[in-house]
Amino acid sequence: MNLDELLNDNLLVAMQSIVTKGVEQAAEGFSGMLGQSLTVDSPKVKLVDVTEIPSMLGGPENEAVGIYLASEGTMCSQFMLILPYQKALELVDLLMEQPTGTTDKLGSIERSALAEVGNITSTMFLNAIASQTGISSRPTPPAVMVDMVGAILDIIVATTGGIAEKVLLLQTTFNCGDRALNAEFWVVPDPITLKPILEKASQENGK
Amino acid sequence: MENSVSVGLGEIAISRNPDEVLVAYGLGSCLGIGVYDPVARVAGLLHAVLPESPNGSSANGSAAKYVNTGIVELMKGLEAAGGSPARAKIRVIGGANMLLSSSLSKTFDIGTRNIEASRKTFEKMRLKVSAEEVGGHTGRTVRLFVHNGRMTFRIVGGKEQEI
Repeated sequence: MNLDELLNDNLLVAMQSIVTKGVEQAAEGFSGMLGQSLTVDSPKVKLVDVTEIPSMLGGPENEAVGIYLASEGTMCSQFMLILPYQKALELVDLLMEQPTGTTDKLGSIERSALAEVGNITSTMFLNAIASQTGISSRPTPPAVMVDMVGAILDIIVATTGGIAEKVLLLQTTFNCGDRALNAEFWVVPDPITLKPILEKASQENGK
Repeated sequence: MENSVSVGLGEIAISRNPDEVLVAYGLGSCLGIGVYDPVARVAGLLHAVLPESPNGSSANGSAAKYVNTGIVELMKGLEAAGGSPARAKIRVIGGANMLLSSSLSKTFDIGTRNIEASRKTFEKMRLKVSAEEVGGHTGRTVRLFVHNGRMTFRIVGGKEQEI
């Protein structure tokens, strides 16, 4: 069974519930890190073709920042957070409690801060999956890349082995005081690891 | 006026139109393989994603997705448009390893495998590659100008360079 066959509406419903919990927990994690309250809007889950992503980010040649992790264990998947370059700078300002516009380039400290976003987000997501399905896994250390959108996406395209493959897109907005930041994550689960999530969803539907 | 023709993931473009520029945007681990026959003035660009087709076949129209089957299709396209593979100038760009993190890069170094697949395929076809701009850790945008066969690449924040 390939990934496209598994990525259907049932899975979207199951993922919506998991993701909502995961993102809420991620917001708690960020609040702890920032020392101030951070809230999230209810996240949206969508299925998108990998090939659609560049146009959503302004074109394949646009400069962007990619934060990439894989998860190992029972649930093998990949996580990619891609932000347009300017948005990544804004996120660093938010994390480092600086006025918007303070960060104008990404040095090692700024990259570490962004890596931490990947860490917290993926860990919370994996925790939410673990608590709901009993599937445990751990994330690899994050890799932060600054490059063209197309080049960053090659990692997902090449490892999913497909061109028409769909990926799960999670969209949410992080709010901190009067500042809001939209974030989009791509989650590419290994098809085998999706089966327990689907089974769990169908059990619940049958209740 | 120049007309850009975008060559997406797993696609091949062949052109004899001197106004056209074949472009593969933001290649990471993917390869952009350009061919140009200066006599017939035919240009072709392949945007290959993965090294080798699992069963060696080019079924389901996915030949251009793989380096090995994509190169064969590219040469067929060149010939069909009146070009000659033996006469063509062949240039290969891309195949970067985008992940610098040591725990991840070894698993996913598809860029290097793509480069190896390209060299192996051209050797098997007894075709000589005139230039390569491959490897490294940065993405590249590739342009092939049909009117004179000029091929260029650009990295983020960099200038257009010729190969």
